[in-house]
Amino acid sequence: MLRAAARLALAGGLWAAAVPAPAPAQESTTVGGYGEIHYTNSRGRNTPAEVNLRRFVVYLAHTFNDRLAFRSELEVEDAQVEGGSSGGEVALEQAFLDYRVSAALTVRTGLVLPPVGIVNETHEPPTFNGVDRPAFDHDVIPTTWREIGVGVVGRLPVADGWNYRLYLVNGLRADGFSAAAGIRGGRQKGREASFANPSLTGRLEWVRPAGGLRIGGSFWYGGTTGGDTLLGTGSFDAPIALLSADARYDRGALAVRAVIATLSVRDADTINALYGSAVGSRIAGGYVEAAYNVLQVMAPTTSQRLSAFVRHERYDTQADVPTGTARDRGFARRITTFGLAYKPTWNTVFKGDYEVLRTAGGSREGETLRLGVGYQF
Amino acid sequence: MILLFLAGLALAQGAPPAKVTASVRRIFGPATDVRLLPVGTDTVLRVARGDSLLGFAVVRNVRGKDQPITFLVAIDPADRLKDVDVLVYREPYGGEVAYDAWRRQFRGKSAADSLRVGREIRAISGATISVHAVTLGVKQLLADLTHWHQTGAIR
Repeated sequence: MLRAAARLALAGGLWAAAVPAPAPAQESTTVGGYGEIHYTNSRGRNTPAEVNLRRFVVYLAHTFNDRLAFRSELEVEDAQVEGGSSGGEVALEQAFLDYRVSAALTVRTGLVLPPVGIVNETHEPPTFNGVDRPAFDHDVIPTTWREIGVGVVGRLPVADGWNYRLYLVNGLRADGFSAAAGIRGGRQKGREASFANPSLTGRLEWVRPAGGLRIGGSFWYGGTTGGDTLLGTGSFDAPIALLSADARYDRGALAVRAVIATLSVRDADTINALYGSAVGSRIAGGYVEAAYNVLQVMAPTTSQRLSAFVRHERYDTQADVPTGTARDRGFARRITTFGLAYKPTWNTVFKGDYEVLRTAGGSREGETLRLGVGYQF
Repeated sequence: MILLFLAGLALAQGAPPAKVTASVRRIFGPATDVRLLPVGTDTVLRVARGDSLLGFAVVRNVRGKDQPITFLVAIDPADRLKDVDVLVYREPYGGEVAYDAWRRQFRGKSAADSLRVGREIRAISGATISVHAVTLGVKQLLADLTHWHQTGAIR
């Protein structure tokens, strides 16, 4: 009787029930992390080199059940934070709850990363070339950009390779905008943030199903009053609109990536008059980077990598200025960085590069040598 | 009674039995006889049709960024990899490793072949962790299956 039932089960494929695979249904906690240590030496007199433990980040995730997971990144910047002295930062870079409905839909709530460009979401040091992140990913797309909100992420079920994310988050604050670093100072980073200007941000991307290519388009739209009635009383007053596109291409030893973005600050004139700043009414630019793994040719048997790369960035945080604001061509930057990245494993890296900064105005130029190590696990 | 018991077992496992069944059927074809052979902590599926052996398969997990990725590796009687299946992918990103167009690179490989991301196996930028995890997992499982088969632990 029992034997007959077992044979029946076998025929019906029910044997599969007895195939053990460690069940993920129970609660579990995962710890990970990443970090980077930099040596920076700017060219010129009286510019002694500096060494800095730039980032130390602990990744902490907890799985509650099949559907619910918490994910977070806690960061220490510049090694130490001390009362009464400047510098250093302890901050949460991400902290959110994911509720997974299906591969097509995960509902996310918390401190999230606006899915703009490449580096904001994927910022672990072994994932990008150059000791420091591209300057574009500081002054145009203000990485690590994180705000509090709710949204949805997933795979679009239309065809293989399509992913999306869409979030409703708190807005930026125009009182933090600047001529040199655009909207960077306007981020609220989840710290008692004003929700006067609910903002929308999202991304649509396509991955070649066989691998090797990922392209994406991103946007951000929202007001920036931060509750300052002098700038406006509506939720979408003093809006900024950001559009960005990016691509990552890998083929054999070659890796190419490119990002462009344009940002319009509609009421830049009012913002500048109100806060005494010189924010551009348009901020725009991009970069293109190519890297080649020379070990693929020199040492075909190894799985280590030694990439030589060159990156060219062009951006202007005052691509347009409103009437009444003087345009400083020293903000129209052209940055060329070339260097090496040695990766003994895919998640550890030793880097060195040389950056040449030129501007249309001839001011604020400089050259910098950087060395660094980075890891993720 | 026994069906209820099996259904209960099914719920307790990481890989839904229907997915394992579908995967074995897809890789080896319909109407196969499957025997379960425990080897260490693994359970090898021995797949045959009548008297002819079609191959072996094992289900395992590797860790992605923070969730297990449940995958299946199947080999033929000559110890060549027949196919890889990603049975359950749980993380919000990196799910591209489940696409057939990417997985098919593993077909026909043997334990002696080198499987390196960026060389024999294409990288997927933005899915680095999952690509490395699955590649390493497949490499290890292919080596284990080959070893067990060649030493007679499975036959």
